[in-house]
Amino acid sequence: MIVAQEKPLAEIRRMIDRYERVLILGCGTCMTVCGAGGEREVSYLHEVLRVAQARGGNGTHTVSEYTVKRQCDPEFLELLVDRVGDVDAVLSLGCGIGVQAIAERFPEIPVLPGVNTSFMGMAKEQGVWDERCAACGDCRLEETAGICPITRCTKGILNGPCAGTKNGKCEANKDMDCAWVLIYQRLERQGQLEKMRRYYPPRNFRTIARPKRIVSKANIDAGGDDA
Amino acid sequence: MPNSLFKEKLCSDKFLVTTEIGPPKGADTSEMVHHIDLLKDMVDAINVTDNQSSVMRYPSLGGCLFIKERGGEPIFQMTCRDRNRLALEADLLLAYSRGIANVLCLTGDCVDVGDHKEAKPVFDLDSIQLLEMIKTLESGIDMGGNDLKGAPKFCMGASVHPEADFIEPQLIKFDKKVTAGAQFFQTQGIFDLGSLKRFMQYASQFNVKILAGIIVMASAGMARYMNNNVPGIIVPQAIMDELATAEKGKGLLKGVEIAARFIKTIKEENLCHGVHIMAVGNEGIVPDILEAAEMVGVST
Amino acid sequence: MYLDMSGNTQSKRVEKSSPDRSLVPPCQAVCPLHMDIREYVDLLAQGRTMEALHVIRNGNPFPAICAYVCTHPCEEACRRGEVDKPIAIRALKRFAVEFGGDRMMQVEARTEHCEKVAIIGSGPAGLACAYYLRKLGYPVTVFEAHSELGGMLRIGIPQYRLPREVLDTEVQRLTQMGVEIRTNTRVVSLELLFDIGYKAIFVTIGAHQSLRMGIEGEESPGVIDGATFLREVNLGLKPSLGERVGVVGGGNVAIDAARTAVRLGARSVNILYRRSRDEMPADSVEIEQAEEEGIEILFLVTPTRVKRENGQLNVTCIKMELGEPDASGRRQPVPIRDSAFSKEFDALITAIGQSPQTPEDFRLRIGRGSIIQVDPITLTTNRTGVFAGGDAVTGPATVTQALATGRLAASRIDDYLQHRYPLASSAERESPIGHLLPETIETIRKIGRLEPPTLAAEARAEDFAPVELAYDWESATNEARRCLRCGIGAEILFQDKCATCLTCIRVCPYHVPYVDASGTIQIPSDQCQACGICVAECPAKAIVLRKPHDRRHITEELDHILRSAAESKSKPVIVGFCCQYGLFGTGTLARFWRGAKAGVWIVPVLCIAKVEANHILRAFEAGAEGVFIAGCGEQCSRENTAYWVRQRVAKVRSTLEQIGLERERVQAFVLGDSSDDLVNELDRFTDQIGALYLTSVILEEVKS
Repeated sequence: MIVAQEKPLAEIRRMIDRYERVLILGCGTCMTVCGAGGEREVSYLHEVLRVAQARGGNGTHTVSEYTVKRQCDPEFLELLVDRVGDVDAVLSLGCGIGVQAIAERFPEIPVLPGVNTSFMGMAKEQGVWDERCAACGDCRLEETAGICPITRCTKGILNGPCAGTKNGKCEANKDMDCAWVLIYQRLERQGQLEKMRRYYPPRNFRTIARPKRIVSKANIDAGGDDA
Repeated sequence: MPNSLFKEKLCSDKFLVTTEIGPPKGADTSEMVHHIDLLKDMVDAINVTDNQSSVMRYPSLGGCLFIKERGGEPIFQMTCRDRNRLALEADLLLAYSRGIANVLCLTGDCVDVGDHKEAKPVFDLDSIQLLEMIKTLESGIDMGGNDLKGAPKFCMGASVHPEADFIEPQLIKFDKKVTAGAQFFQTQGIFDLGSLKRFMQYASQFNVKILAGIIVMASAGMARYMNNNVPGIIVPQAIMDELATAEKGKGLLKGVEIAARFIKTIKEENLCHGVHIMAVGNEGIVPDILEAAEMVGVST
Repeated sequence: MYLDMSGNTQSKRVEKSSPDRSLVPPCQAVCPLHMDIREYVDLLAQGRTMEALHVIRNGNPFPAICAYVCTHPCEEACRRGEVDKPIAIRALKRFAVEFGGDRMMQVEARTEHCEKVAIIGSGPAGLACAYYLRKLGYPVTVFEAHSELGGMLRIGIPQYRLPREVLDTEVQRLTQMGVEIRTNTRVVSLELLFDIGYKAIFVTIGAHQSLRMGIEGEESPGVIDGATFLREVNLGLKPSLGERVGVVGGGNVAIDAARTAVRLGARSVNILYRRSRDEMPADSVEIEQAEEEGIEILFLVTPTRVKRENGQLNVTCIKMELGEPDASGRRQPVPIRDSAFSKEFDALITAIGQSPQTPEDFRLRIGRGSIIQVDPITLTTNRTGVFAGGDAVTGPATVTQALATGRLAASRIDDYLQHRYPLASSAERESPIGHLLPETIETIRKIGRLEPPTLAAEARAEDFAPVELAYDWESATNEARRCLRCGIGAEILFQDKCATCLTCIRVCPYHVPYVDASGTIQIPSDQCQACGICVAECPAKAIVLRKPHDRRHITEELDHILRSAAESKSKPVIVGFCCQYGLFGTGTLARFWRGAKAGVWIVPVLCIAKVEANHILRAFEAGAEGVFIAGCGEQCSRENTAYWVRQRVAKVRSTLEQIGLERERVQAFVLGDSSDDLVNELDRFTDQIGALYLTSVILEEVKS
């Protein structure tokens, strides 16, 4: 799941300050699941802006609300064609992908990000999300018993642990477990410690050269298959 | 190109003594040079730290150059936190070309604990990959597979943490570092000789030299601070209590006493191959420690 | 100036979500009158007794009677019984009747039609039919052979079960409505009624003919049939029974006869029943009370011969054992050979059943058991314009069934007279709600059933005062809040909005929602306890409460309060969302109302779990300076409600800070949190808000 967090209210107000008619646009998939930008949050933000306004804010805004199933697929954005004509800016509570998708589809309209997209992760329990995947493009979870050294080790090293681990916790954040201690424990449990004894050469950072693209369709010329 | 004097000493049975110098936070190097002059003949080699604890300082390479100029034997501490593989390789070429032949390969503390918390952490390599990289350079090619015009040669070292509360993963790392070519190890601060002995029992099977790290505390407060905030340092309560017994203003003397005691014991009982004295911020006190440990004139 | 436009598609959604999607609960489905029990129990849990009575009167013409003598099939079907014990619905109805002022209720009726209807028999079926026909506007005459109205209500059920005054009040109401009553009038011919102008006749003469045991000596003096015995007592006679009385039978009539005998002074009363305790058809509470009064029940015993000698009855009995089940499904009693014994009694009352006795001159088709045959849908007999119902058609049945038949007969007669096609009734007899799963039962807090108070056993035998007393206020409220609110829980109305985020699964204290095989989240209506937590937490707003009233309740109440607050001059305005349920709602909340200073506006909510962060902000938007939420805490009949309220309060507080308002302006008061009185806490809060308000006013003035 892509996990994000609402931007501070002061920042949002500063962003929408110059626009009169603003559409708050929610996303019905990841942002709903992580509670940052679904329909409920859209309606909450709208109410927050109304309260701020009523308690003496500057400027005037006409705010409308809408939520699409997903912002990252162009077909869903077609539903917005009529609405964007009536507004001066779209405040998207979707992740960074959604914000950019809307901006691409409707280049005349300023699209503002309402959340800080933070990571790909999962829920530890209701209301607590942890990062799990860095999208490094070179997944090596087989070597580390299913624990990612890049997201769960602060330094992201492959021959861990470093000397800073204390009580099984990371030197940078005493609430976080040292990933390499966890990896050791799990490899030991599975009887596969030799994986940790191996030397792992440096990462191939070419896999994260930006912007990335994956093409899953074949290139077929008219009149014959590609050789 | 000169060989490493330090390496020669490693090959002997001599009890080794090294110490470290923390460079200044700024361009005024006078104090650092003063300390270099003070210590260069008293110890077998001097480390220069590399943005230690992620606090930005005058570079290690610069400090090593000063040591070389003044006639001492430098150990170039290199962390992977701030530079990618190209920059690390290039710095190694520079170091070797100016006669700096000893490298201590470290992963580096994370950016959060230092004073530039919003900096981008690099960690293109870790300490073991750095050791391997040096081996590669020594064979005449760089990490990209390209031939080098003039290959460097180094005496490689690394760190180890015998007092880690969870020792097995540290031993795995130690193995990997030995395989990667580390010839000497400077440990994290030793406060419990029992764990040093246990570690040495394991480590003595390898043809590497272990120098026990000795940290000089100036006060109980400093000990507590390091305990809580500096990665890799675990000060036992007994030591903190002993420091607390010192009279006001005399904390450093107490720290010297404790350090000397450790050094003496290690030497007399032949627990390991030497010591690495870390008197961070108090480099001037090192001669006193050596004297108290009856080690003056040991270095030849 | 702040304008607002909500998304178009979303307002269309609001319309779609308006229809009532609540499900008929088991209590309502099984009730012959199809009463909205869930609704009136809920109103009693809020302390709204008069409104509860209103709901009851909507479905039942004679709530006071049912409050005393209904056999409460609803309680047998009540799903609370799967958790601990069923809700004491009849006792709650009694409370509503007594405390809601049923006696004061007036019923209006006007004559709108000219067709006259005759009702023969004034038992519950006849009285109900008269009530409804009169309300529809027909001139109605009730013919009763006896001197007083009521049928079995008057002459069958003893006064300690149904006090005379209660029945009289109901009868008087009929007269007030304009129903013509002709007592002491035995109808002998239906043609005569048609001749004098009646257009339709409802024959509801009941079943008063006692069945005979068919044993030797049954005619002996001292052997009385139960129906006759009870009639005589209820009409004021005091038959002398002697000291030792035997009653044959196992139904309510037998128990009534036995308990009446005790009150008439019999020293030893035995009931002889041919089956075992489990098969006894009488109400279990009646059986229990009878035994408390000293009546001994001899099970698996039946008399075979009666002989009167030496001024007493020598009754030969034989022991029985249970054999194979008979047609009704109950195991047949089989006499055990050579087990005969004899007992002496001064009087023997037979109460083994009754049958109707229809005059031959009515020329109605009679079926097995002497019952009048009718078409089950239209209630018509073989004669045009003649309808029949009640015990005369079903054999002895319950009062409530008779009331239902009377109501049905009225609408059928109306169909007939207005020449309408009689469509089959659409009232669901089966509730779509299934049983509670063991996993759900485990999570429901066990709160024991509060039995209504009764007279002590020793006090009872002295006279015919009612044995069962009404609840007091506290007990009624506590008992009513045990209701599980079957069928009005949450459902995922907009499956397309659902992101399967699993929030509902994680927050439900009862572990009700689940993911089915196709990956869709289901909230089974059978298990949902209607707490409202998932509705407020769903990030996609895809879950709603089934009843439209519940969906809109808080928003409507809040808007109303905010408008009133805006008009008032009292400043600062403080809004409080307060739970109306249970002792908190009826007790503490009342003290809140009284204790609250001017400027405090209370929004009543039905469980604070339904108050959302948006509601709190809305109050601030409309000018409130402070908002609090007050709830029952440990008294709440649902789990985790205080926890979720506090989560929402924390969220609003962090939002307020970002707007420049103080966190202290939102507060949750939960009963049981602190040892301090909630009213004191409210006072402190009010003072605090007052101070903040004053500061902000001064700052405004300084600025300008």
